[in-house]
Amino acid sequence: MSKAADFLVEIGTEELPPKALRNLMNAFAGGLQKALDKARLEHASVSAYASPRRLAVIVASLGFAQADQELVVKGPPVSVAYDAAGKITPAAKAFAKKCGVRPDALERLTSDKGEWLCFRSLERGQKTAELIPGLVQTALQGLPIPRRMRWGEGEAEFVRPVQWIVLLHGRNVIEGSVMNVPAGRMTRGHRFHAPGEIEIDEPAKYLSLLKKAHVLADFDARRKTIVAAVKKAAKEAGGEPVANEALYDEVTALTEWPVPLIGSFDKSFLSLPKEVIVATLASHQRYFPVADKGDNLLPRFITIANLVSKEPDRVRAGNERVIRARLADAAFFWEADKRVNLADRRDALRDVVYQRGLGSIYDKSARVVRLAAAVGSQLGVETPAIERAASLAKCDLLTGMVGEFPELQGSMGRYYAAADGEPGAVAEAIGEQYLPRFAGDALPETVAGQALAIADKLDTIAGVLALGKKPSGNRDPFGLRRSALGIVRIIIEQGLDLDFTALIAATIADQPVGDKDEKDLSEGLYDFVTERMRAYYLDGQNSLTTEMFAAVMAKRPVSLLDFDARLKAVAAFVKLEPASSLAAANKRIGNILRQAGVDAGVSIDQSLITEPAETALFESVVKAQKAVAPLLASRDYTNVLMTLADLRDPVDGFFDHVMVMTDDAALRNNRLALLAELRAMFLNVADVSRLSISQESAH
Amino acid sequence: MKKDNPPALLTFQDLILALQQFWAERGCVIAQPYDMPMGAGTFHPATFLRAVGPEPWSAAYVQPCRRPTDGRYGDNPFRLQHYYQFQVVIKPSPEDFQDVYLESLCTIGIDPTVHDIRFVEDNWESPSLGAWGLGWEVWLNGMEITQFTYFQQLGGLECRPVTGEITYGLERLAMYLQDVENIFDIVWTDGPLGRISYRDVYHQNEVEQSRYNFELADIDSLFHAFDLAEHDCQRLIELKLALPAYEQMLVASHTFNLLDARQAMSVSERQRFILRVRDMSKSVAAAYYASREAMGFPMLESAGPPQRGASQR
Repeated sequence: MSKAADFLVEIGTEELPPKALRNLMNAFAGGLQKALDKARLEHASVSAYASPRRLAVIVASLGFAQADQELVVKGPPVSVAYDAAGKITPAAKAFAKKCGVRPDALERLTSDKGEWLCFRSLERGQKTAELIPGLVQTALQGLPIPRRMRWGEGEAEFVRPVQWIVLLHGRNVIEGSVMNVPAGRMTRGHRFHAPGEIEIDEPAKYLSLLKKAHVLADFDARRKTIVAAVKKAAKEAGGEPVANEALYDEVTALTEWPVPLIGSFDKSFLSLPKEVIVATLASHQRYFPVADKGDNLLPRFITIANLVSKEPDRVRAGNERVIRARLADAAFFWEADKRVNLADRRDALRDVVYQRGLGSIYDKSARVVRLAAAVGSQLGVETPAIERAASLAKCDLLTGMVGEFPELQGSMGRYYAAADGEPGAVAEAIGEQYLPRFAGDALPETVAGQALAIADKLDTIAGVLALGKKPSGNRDPFGLRRSALGIVRIIIEQGLDLDFTALIAATIADQPVGDKDEKDLSEGLYDFVTERMRAYYLDGQNSLTTEMFAAVMAKRPVSLLDFDARLKAVAAFVKLEPASSLAAANKRIGNILRQAGVDAGVSIDQSLITEPAETALFESVVKAQKAVAPLLASRDYTNVLMTLADLRDPVDGFFDHVMVMTDDAALRNNRLALLAELRAMFLNVADVSRLSISQESAH
Repeated sequence: MKKDNPPALLTFQDLILALQQFWAERGCVIAQPYDMPMGAGTFHPATFLRAVGPEPWSAAYVQPCRRPTDGRYGDNPFRLQHYYQFQVVIKPSPEDFQDVYLESLCTIGIDPTVHDIRFVEDNWESPSLGAWGLGWEVWLNGMEITQFTYFQQLGGLECRPVTGEITYGLERLAMYLQDVENIFDIVWTDGPLGRISYRDVYHQNEVEQSRYNFELADIDSLFHAFDLAEHDCQRLIELKLALPAYEQMLVASHTFNLLDARQAMSVSERQRFILRVRDMSKSVAAAYYASREAMGFPMLESAGPPQRGASQR
């Protein structure tokens, strides 16, 4: 008999939540593999499968038993185990007793540290079949399920009720229960195409047997089928699918036997905003919209049914009927909403609570008006359009359409503002206020949109921090990290030079929270945003490091764009050959100055400069100061550091030949002043002493 | 439609009768609608109270539901402030609950080899009942026709065993089966005394009740009525009378819904009222549990033969 065979576990359930399915599938396979490895069960590849009614894993060549394992229990040192006469001591006897053997059965364990008594035994490996039910249970227990449920009279808890369990190792069923359901070899196919049980003789047949029973159990393969089918159907319908990766995932998780159908709706609905039609089709109904080459929607959609209907036209007609009712609803909202101007809705925002302690949405919007105007004036643009946009930005929350489709907030505001005859800049800014909504999303393109997007996010973060609810660990219920990252992306990627600390001070002062420590909160807000900035850089495709970030952070630049320029300069500096020695010198100088208690700004007495190496450094410093002054003014930090890199030789020469801490106080202080000057020049850009640069990486 | 197979029109009342017959044959108590206004079939004591505690229970019934804010003066083809649910509850939830439900669809003429029927995740939570459960909305060719829920908690109490609940949307089903685009065009009955539509039976009611709900309900009286009901509910709970106390909770809950339709509460006030109703629900659930416990949970004794396939082996 061979030592291994393929293993199949299938958890048959009632319909699983579609948005979670792929995660559950991968977590189950991952958890099972971990459990098998921990139990020292040898195996080859692990494959995960899932459909609405099952989670399954196939483990190739799983051993029938654990390997035998030699156990070594370490006892007392030999020096303690035997007395001077070489007789066994009570300590050694006690150890033997603990191990359940006679003292002469003990062996010796020798290492370079000495010699010990030890007890060796062979633990026979357990049979896989005995271990599997427990390991499967452990893997299921570890699944990321936000809310588990019970059913019937049982105490078992899972995502949805468990209907059947398959545990098959080779051709044999593994006896046992999982979730109180006895394991077997019977699975089930498609609910309607293949009612009844299906016997699986061995794991290798799993996918093909299910396919015969109208179930494509391989998630990724099923997804590919759907992607291809939707594309083909869209072509037939005269266009391209409006693709959406999350929707493909969801539809894959909702079907076992995907069958595309093309449906139509009345083209009069195409007068609705595109976003509304897409939301109706995609988020409400899980249909794929179809657009022509010019990205204009067609009055068609693709739906993926879960069966080969005997009368597909009836399925199509049913789906068309639903979409007709839904679009009619949306059209009703669209017309009804337009009867009230956005501006006339603003007062009603007073009745909508924004957050306890932070007032109403009206209050928030009033704060954002002020802050967005401040951003605008810093950018040197006219602020009326920004203020108008900010004051109308939240009014679409009260429209019927946004009530029905919350994800259309902002987008609908833009349409309604345009319909009200608001200036284009106002409407665009309203439409851009929530950008970027997710990683990789577009950024606001208009200045007013940028000002509004920054102000809205900054106010959100400031408010929550002022309430003392800073995100911790995985808990970030208000999405503050995403907001902070959005601010960073807009400022850096769109090159907005803002006095960020001034904006922070303004928004903190404006939060309606009593007894707040404004200085402390402002610093906290600066740290919170720059922390996201650090993540933004470190995640990016670049050579930036935490240390480079710390070197610039020491300066706490008021402008994030300036922060960015300094960071890039430091990154370029690190690549220079003299960088490592200068970084070390800065560290050394920093320590010397700190110990001597010297601050920058002590003037240098040129007459006290005597030694040649000292003179050389002084002259180099003076020369460098002249050279970098205009570079600093133009924020050309890269060239500032390039210039300072030339100081390596005089600095090294100075430390090689000049004694700083000489007994002569006047000389000593003058030398300290020179070093302080030198250090200050570097600190103008960043604290390079925080960089540790290995010689190798410096080229 | 094919000539050789003229489909018999399933009227609104045929639909109800067919579902009643179906679930009666599966052993459910066919209960009658509760005679008080409520927002959903879940509020019927045959669901809410019977789901509390260990005693087995099964029931099926029609429940008229009132949702004042959904009124549209009889103008909207899909929305009503008064409509019907067909409710099925079985405790403990049977293993083959989904299959039996699908069979019930076959009985009313929905063939699952023709139509695309799907169970799509939809989790239920009722803040005012202190309740939640997990389950699905059932889709028929993309249209929601049923809510399917396994109760996990009711009135703040863990459900042990778990009650399974099926709620059919009768109007939606009827519109589909009769292929009409407007609720009011549903044929209620078509017999020797003529054809009667949903419009004939309920349109005037929708118009007048919408006026009452949105315009005329007296706000001060409603606030007062809420306070009285709450007070009475507490008084009855102290007297250990769970069922009358529950009715006061129903009064409070419906009064709240009317106040909501009159937009008489600010957002935070609204939240406070929901919490007040929830406190009543919790007290009632606890009192009901205690009363059944004091009787020794009598239905544990009288439970008939096992209902579950698994236990009949």
